[in-house]
Amino acid sequence: MIEELRKKAEELLKNDTVKVVFGYGEGSVPERTRPVFITKPEDVNKLTWNKYCVYNLTTYLKRQETRKLGKPAIIVKGCDARTIIVLLKECQIKREDVYILGVTCDGVGDPLATKCESCDVHTPRIYDDLVGEKKENKEVPFEERYAELDEYEKLGEKEKWEFWQKQFSKCIKCYACSNMCPLCFCDRCIVEKNQPQWIDSSAHARGNLSWNVTRAYHLAGRCINCEECQRVCPVDIPLNLLNKKLAKEAEKNFDYRPGYSVDDELAMSTYKEEDSQEFFK
Amino acid sequence: MEKLLNKNKFDTLIAGLKKQGYKTVAPKKDNRLVTLEEVQDASEISLDHVITNNSIKEFFFPKTEKILSYTLDKNKVEMEEPKGFAVKSVIFGTRPCDAFSLPVMDKVFNWDCSDKFWVERREAITIVTISCDKSDSYCFCTSVGLAPDAKQGSDVLLTKISNDEYLVETVTEKGENLVKEMESVFSDPPGTPDRQVATVEEKFDLKKIKPWLDDNFEHDVWDEFSNKCIGCGACTFVCPTCHCFDIVDECTMTKGDRVKNWDGCQFTMFTMHTSGHNPRSTQGMRWRQRIMHKFKYYVEKFDSTLCVGCGRCSRVCPADMNISEMLELIETEAGK
Amino acid sequence: MSKAEAKPENQFEPKIIAFLCNWCTYAGADLAGTGRKEYQANVRIIKLPCTGGIDPLFLIKAFERGADGILVSGCHPGDCHYNSGNYHARRRWNVFRPLLEFCGINPDRIQFSWISAAEGGKWVETINGIVDAVRELGPFESYQKLNTIGPETTGEATAASGETG
Ligand code: SF4
Ligand code: SF4
Ligand code: SF4
Ligand code: SF4
Ligand code: SF4
Repeated sequence: MIEELRKKAEELLKNDTVKVVFGYGEGSVPERTRPVFITKPEDVNKLTWNKYCVYNLTTYLKRQETRKLGKPAIIVKGCDARTIIVLLKECQIKREDVYILGVTCDGVGDPLATKCESCDVHTPRIYDDLVGEKKENKEVPFEERYAELDEYEKLGEKEKWEFWQKQFSKCIKCYACSNMCPLCFCDRCIVEKNQPQWIDSSAHARGNLSWNVTRAYHLAGRCINCEECQRVCPVDIPLNLLNKKLAKEAEKNFDYRPGYSVDDELAMSTYKEEDSQEFFK
Repeated sequence: MEKLLNKNKFDTLIAGLKKQGYKTVAPKKDNRLVTLEEVQDASEISLDHVITNNSIKEFFFPKTEKILSYTLDKNKVEMEEPKGFAVKSVIFGTRPCDAFSLPVMDKVFNWDCSDKFWVERREAITIVTISCDKSDSYCFCTSVGLAPDAKQGSDVLLTKISNDEYLVETVTEKGENLVKEMESVFSDPPGTPDRQVATVEEKFDLKKIKPWLDDNFEHDVWDEFSNKCIGCGACTFVCPTCHCFDIVDECTMTKGDRVKNWDGCQFTMFTMHTSGHNPRSTQGMRWRQRIMHKFKYYVEKFDSTLCVGCGRCSRVCPADMNISEMLELIETEAGK
Repeated sequence: MSKAEAKPENQFEPKIIAFLCNWCTYAGADLAGTGRKEYQANVRIIKLPCTGGIDPLFLIKAFERGADGILVSGCHPGDCHYNSGNYHARRRWNVFRPLLEFCGINPDRIQFSWISAAEGGKWVETINGIVDAVRELGPFESYQKLNTIGPETTGEATAASGETG
């Protein structure tokens, strides 16, 4: 598969379909890969593919440094391809401005990432070209997809509060979570605004709660569960639980899952008259 | 002074420190992380790691701290300075690179004015370091003039000499006093201890770095190396020698706190002017700043490298940017 | 306008912040006033054009500044002065409320209602309801404790000692 990827990349660069290929290269240690940006056909053997290809490379579509390199071909797994769908729908990219090099995927991470256990996009749902053997995208039932949440939803109010306070207290406000997230693309994040100061920039208990809740909330109905934010958090806060909780509510209440279709309406920019209002008086 | 400490005396040691009124900070394991944090007894301590995820920095220069609080009245302002921030403590089981970061940072925190928060904590805290008996491929202390059993910055240095014994060497008077205070837990050292110290390969020649930096403020490698960097700043926060901070007021109409928070040169906002102009407008420029500050500017100003080779920045980097690789690259460029 | 009858001594008086839309609920509250209806005086009203413009951060900010409970209220579905602001708001609260609950905040501290300009009575009921409910829950101490920046929330607690809650 690596050979096939390299060949494809070489072709695309040679015939000038794209100026750069966003892919995975060898990392500092064998258990890591790193993003690479291939601009010359002779460099394609720097590309690799293995279970350590955890990155969601679509995040580089938002960065001026990598945008500057010209039209990209971007290597995406099924989950990453969901990001592309959201980015298209949110008008962040134009379809003709990216060449999508999909790869079929059995799962990444060691141990296997949680997202991969309930993956239903082993074959990307959007691509220009597919590398690897096509795999069946089996549907995974709702309960199974959100099973991870059960033990936390069961906790009492006080336990929940204590659990999250303990987690949030670790936050050092490095913003790796939002910088890595391909869907956190505001030029200026709300946390960087200080007229007024909506979110305290201090990494104290108050500032950390409002930051973590707001970051998660801004991804409601948008997060495609690539788990990148959690992976990069240097203090290991289980951010994915928050994202998943929101995804679950969005699916339950609006019957919506982001990144599955280019034709649906974005959950948070539309409404239905019959939306639930159980708790409204 | 040299002594011997057996692992089975850790209990008595930590309990003894507590009795003497010390707060004890030591490496503790929690899930995937090993962090330096307060411990109540020896059973919480974990020593099976290469290096803790958090650096020693936060015990002297916390991620966030109040430096002043005030109340505003119609015609007066009242200010109150925090007290009690320097707590008599022992940091037990930190690494030589972390310990060395302290004298390196003393220079900047005592520069044109002395930062009392740093200085008073420095006085109140005693550093008991454990030499590294293992390392990983991110470590490069030997390339910046240190060693896995370096003593600078420690008050006491422990070095493993058998599975459950440590050689205890006092480095400063403070360390000597601490060992005396806890005398009963130590015994006499063997004549020729077999020090178990990790080997750390030297990755680059520090002497070649600065001359190249002097000449290459403009160079393609800055952008090329850093195009995968996402500008998150995690590297600066986990770094024991990064010391930039931001001061903000958190206030209502009538009262407020002035707070000092970690900040870092990898953020876009770090250099953003009010006008919107940003003199360091690309990540390449920000990455260059990080390297320049550590291996050129700080050397010129304080005659010391602002990096102790702990490798944390590279371990934690979400995009696998590796600082020693950058320095090796500079060495290669310098040889061209 | 608080009730005339004697209050139990030392009774906790919760601070309730109400974010109201200008067109319906605010007018409803006004009607309650002009109709000289009595309700508990624990509520501070913040008038905004539309519930559709209420950012969840307003709620967080209110808690940070000492609110014990929050009410968000606007026009009934179909009655929005701007056509659909309240529908959008409803979507937001449908995900935001469970998120706060997931983080350990009692959902009774944040309530939502539709009150029209004609429903002065419903306003009174709603306010009395939330004040009683929050009084029962007591002061929101766990949130207010987050306000302390001291040695206990700085470096020493950085590494998840869990003492900050
Ligand atoms: S979620 Fe699916 S597509 Fe994404 S990495 Fe896991 S197995 Fe691959
Ligand atoms: S919030 Fe996290 S999991 Fe969701 S899209 Fe962003 S990085 Fe991926
Ligand atoms: S990555 Fe983790 S530590 Fe950094 S800001 Fe996000 S939650 Fe906080
Ligand atoms: S070098 Fe790595 S850790 Fe540092 S800002 Fe860049 S991506 Fe973040
Ligand atoms: S720059 Fe990196 S290796 Fe050097 S002291 Fe800082 S974290 Fe450690």
